[in-house]
Amino acid sequence: MLTRRTVLGAFSALAMLATAGVPSIAQDNYDIALISKGFQHQFWQAVKAGADKAGEELGVKVTFEGPDTESQVDRQMDMLAAALSRNPSAIGFAALDSQAATPLLEQAKAANIPVIAFDSGVDSDIPLTTVTTDNVAAAALAADKMAELIGDEGKVAVVAHDQTSRTGIDRVDGFVNRMKEAHPNIEVVSVQYGGGDQLQSTEITKSILLANPDLKGIFGANEGSAIGVANGKTELGSDIVVIGFDSGAAQKGMIKSGVMAGAITQNPVGIGYETVKAAVGALKGETLPKVIDSGFNWYDATNMDDPEIAAVLYD
Amino acid sequence: MTDATAPAVRSSPRVSGAFHRLLAFSGLIALVIVFSLASPNFMQTQNILAILQATSVNGVLAIAATLVIITGGIDLSVGTLMTFCAVVAGVVLTFWGLPLPVGIVAAILAGTVSGLVSGTVIAKLKVPPFIATLGMMLILKGLSLVISGTKPIYFNDTPGFTQIAQGSFIGAILPALPIPNGVVILFAVALIAAFVLSRTALGRYTFALGSNEEAVRLSGVNVDRWKIAVYATSSSICGIAGLLIASRLNSAQPALGQGYELDAIAAVVIGGTSLSGGRGTVLGTLIGALIISVLANGLRILSVPQEWQTVVTGTIIILAVYADILRRRSL
Amino acid sequence: MVEPRESAPVVPLVEMTGIDKSFPGVRALSQARFQLLPGEVHALMGENGAGKSTLMKILSGVYQRDAGTILLDGRPSEIASPREAQDRGIGIIHQELALMRDLTAAQNIFIGREPRRFGILDERALNRDAQAIFDSMNLRLDPTVVVESLTIAKQQMVEIAKALSYRSRVLIMDEPTAALNDAEIAELFAIINRLKAEGVGIVYISHKMDEIKRISDRVTVMRDGEYVGTVPAAETPIETIISMMVGRTLGSETFVVPNTADAPVALEVRNLNRGREIRDVSFSVRQGEILGFAGLMGAGRTEVARAIFGADRRESGEIWVHGKRVGISTPRDAVASGIGYLSEDRKLFGLATGLDVRNNIALPSLERFTGPGGILNDAAMRDAARGYIRQLSIKTPSETQEARLLSGGNQQKVVIAKWLLRDCDILIFDEPTRGIDVGAKTEIYKLLNTLAAQGKAIIVISSELPEVLRLSHRIAVMCEGRLTGFLPGGTSQEEIMRLATQREPSMQVRHAG
Repeated sequence: MLTRRTVLGAFSALAMLATAGVPSIAQDNYDIALISKGFQHQFWQAVKAGADKAGEELGVKVTFEGPDTESQVDRQMDMLAAALSRNPSAIGFAALDSQAATPLLEQAKAANIPVIAFDSGVDSDIPLTTVTTDNVAAAALAADKMAELIGDEGKVAVVAHDQTSRTGIDRVDGFVNRMKEAHPNIEVVSVQYGGGDQLQSTEITKSILLANPDLKGIFGANEGSAIGVANGKTELGSDIVVIGFDSGAAQKGMIKSGVMAGAITQNPVGIGYETVKAAVGALKGETLPKVIDSGFNWYDATNMDDPEIAAVLYD
Repeated sequence: MTDATAPAVRSSPRVSGAFHRLLAFSGLIALVIVFSLASPNFMQTQNILAILQATSVNGVLAIAATLVIITGGIDLSVGTLMTFCAVVAGVVLTFWGLPLPVGIVAAILAGTVSGLVSGTVIAKLKVPPFIATLGMMLILKGLSLVISGTKPIYFNDTPGFTQIAQGSFIGAILPALPIPNGVVILFAVALIAAFVLSRTALGRYTFALGSNEEAVRLSGVNVDRWKIAVYATSSSICGIAGLLIASRLNSAQPALGQGYELDAIAAVVIGGTSLSGGRGTVLGTLIGALIISVLANGLRILSVPQEWQTVVTGTIIILAVYADILRRRSL
Repeated sequence: MVEPRESAPVVPLVEMTGIDKSFPGVRALSQARFQLLPGEVHALMGENGAGKSTLMKILSGVYQRDAGTILLDGRPSEIASPREAQDRGIGIIHQELALMRDLTAAQNIFIGREPRRFGILDERALNRDAQAIFDSMNLRLDPTVVVESLTIAKQQMVEIAKALSYRSRVLIMDEPTAALNDAEIAELFAIINRLKAEGVGIVYISHKMDEIKRISDRVTVMRDGEYVGTVPAAETPIETIISMMVGRTLGSETFVVPNTADAPVALEVRNLNRGREIRDVSFSVRQGEILGFAGLMGAGRTEVARAIFGADRRESGEIWVHGKRVGISTPRDAVASGIGYLSEDRKLFGLATGLDVRNNIALPSLERFTGPGGILNDAAMRDAARGYIRQLSIKTPSETQEARLLSGGNQQKVVIAKWLLRDCDILIFDEPTRGIDVGAKTEIYKLLNTLAAQGKAIIVISSELPEVLRLSHRIAVMCEGRLTGFLPGGTSQEEIMRLATQREPSMQVRHAG
């Protein structure tokens, strides 16, 4: 029965792989499961790096998972359910859809597993605290920088990742409202959504540029959007001001080369780090503030090598 | 010279799908044993229920895909169709405020109509299924965003809605067995689909079409009509999947769905249904879907890094199909 | 045996007159006619491409006629679909097996008419009914067995059972015995005689003269899509029927066999074996020689060609090319040894129909046209293609015409050009004129002669005896996988048929019995 042996062989190999994957057991035996909104994206990898760093420093076991795309709400639920089955010490959670997660969060509460929300947070009172970036304020800073770079007048546009997520809404609102309030001579002529996909954002950018030849700048509201905008600018040979969000090797390179004027960086490493730290704090009975701001910064070619800034940028 | 086309003797006695089902089933059992030994947290009632719950949506979708694949076709639109049906339920229940049963019927009907459209495009316009359903996949994805206003629709005003998948009428009777309704629905759909495939004309033509469509035509059967019927049935089942996922998330998420067709097809293939049509079983598909969920859950319980989970899942898919090829060759 | 024409005012079951049918580029039927009486076995004969199958497909609703009338029981009728044909009691056993391989025998027989109870299939009734039909055929077959696992002969019997299950009054059998052994044929004939007695009219399409004589009452002959004549089967000599089919007295053209006896041997095959299909076949072809391969369906000619070409694995046997033993295990090896194979079905195997003529010709020789950096030299390809278009008089507007738009004869020439460009000097033609108009056939014949005159060694496999006789310098005859003998060019059809039916002694006894 060759075939069955083959399959069984694969299963045992898999089991070995599984045990190999378990990190060294920590001193306090704390097991903290982070369920994020994404996984492959550099931003989430930076959050993971921060979480791992905190795990090492504090001596706790940390796992990090997230769905392939930020639309897979049910996959995230499966991950959360599996994490709960593992019976972890604490859970860090960045909800794709807070409502959908409510039953599982209730379950965590019933099992006395502390929950720390991170990134866009969880719309619920179960999490003990939320580690997050103030996206409205961060996007407002992008608006101020844009105004400064284009001489406080003219037309600008926004290319954002999506219109349903909290970060998408906050960053678009933060940017657009700041322009209305503080820079009345600047008109936001277009807000478009490219799903955070570089290629799609490039196409959108090109169509905006072709429709508005007198456009002075575009704000790309997350990493994928920003890279897409910069690529669109390059492809059309335009000289508009591009302001991005987050970092990553590509975006950093574009800022260095001048294609992009600068970008707002969150502190993803800090988000991961603070989430694990808050979880350990909760387990040790410390009182936590309602919100832990992980901060944001403006960076451009002039300051991106400053140690303070370089520390929060990721590749 | 036509004599070349027909070898004198075909000596392969056919061992139906039974052997493969056995193979897939023993694979599933082996996985469960390995995970149970590796972690005490795996074989817990709550976790088993979580696995079944996680299987319900993909399982129902995979059963829908099985019907079409047995005809020798393919349906790439099952994922976004599921979303579309969920959004339709959201529009009917939340936007229009109609009662729950209307929403349920509307979601399933939305599936039926979509299936009639893709079936007609395939059977009458002769557009290859891959292309026709690729088109439908995008059309439905777009329509979901359009009619939902690109935002998730919540079912907070329809209190019974979450009960469709998350409630447990079995648990209400037998508190020791809090099996979620979603899981019950999965098994009910599987039973009905298996019955339809084996005991009704629709099922018979499903296999016949995949086996030799021209022969069916020459037998005087209205091939186009039955083909459309298969797609419509399959798509109606996608409507059920839409209700399940919406109930589970208490919302219709318009951006979700793309990529789910691949998981469904993977479950079908692991379950031993041939992509070239003519053979396949619902039971096999169910086992295939369970294998995928058990694998995902078990690896998570064991804290295997996510990047490796993906590698293992891909390997299992290839191994499962290769085992099937070996089996056929050995006969 | 009733002589139908004598029985008083018999209304024919089927009366087809003035039937025309064209397919894009081909006129398949022209003023064809056919009559079938109740209780008669009516053989329909003609060479391949004569239009028999097309005519019967019109009768069974698969095709629609362009012109003409069909009377069923004396009433003008339209048969718009296979379903309507069934409803009118017309059943057909297709030449190419039309079975659903993954379904059981019973499911195949009753497809489209499954017995149901309350809308649910009644599998037990299905199997019971199928068993009853098998019993009536004296056929030992389990109705629940999946068709794929049956032998071709058994599959053929399932087809026949399916046709019988319709209780058809008109039953069309297209080469029903192609895959049957003697015992099975005897069983089939018993069934046919029983049906006859019940008044069923049977259209019997076959190439096998002895069967026609044994079973049929009348013979209608067709040629090139036209009606030639109808004769009583018993009284008409085989030669008459053959000359009606061929339409020309054989040997009318002066045919000189060139003397190639001293030419070097180009290809020699020694003791080729492959299962039951090829049994100890040895032969050789000299340069400049055209060796014809004759035999009945299933004699193993194509199998031999495919084994030589490396398309099928051979169990044993040696292949020598120009005096050197060559190891051929794939078509690639064969082509490297200068062997080209022109398969029967050009569209399936020989021609990339979506590509243009130039690319088709250059396809196996692309290395030759590949310049530095892997870039194809289009100009050189064009020149080569134009050369062959001229040399072989391929009728095409230009070398960039898509191959599928060419006529059958010109497609065949493109395939020939392809192998010539590849320097193949041993060419195996499998049914080179199948599906080609009569006019174009002559041109292909001329072309083959020219190629032979240039020193190419040529093997021609053909089911059309006149073609074999007309082309070949020497004829190899096969029967049931064995080479039963060689005949000189210009021999008679009878000689060929004698060798083509020369079974092994043990089988001959059974045949005689």
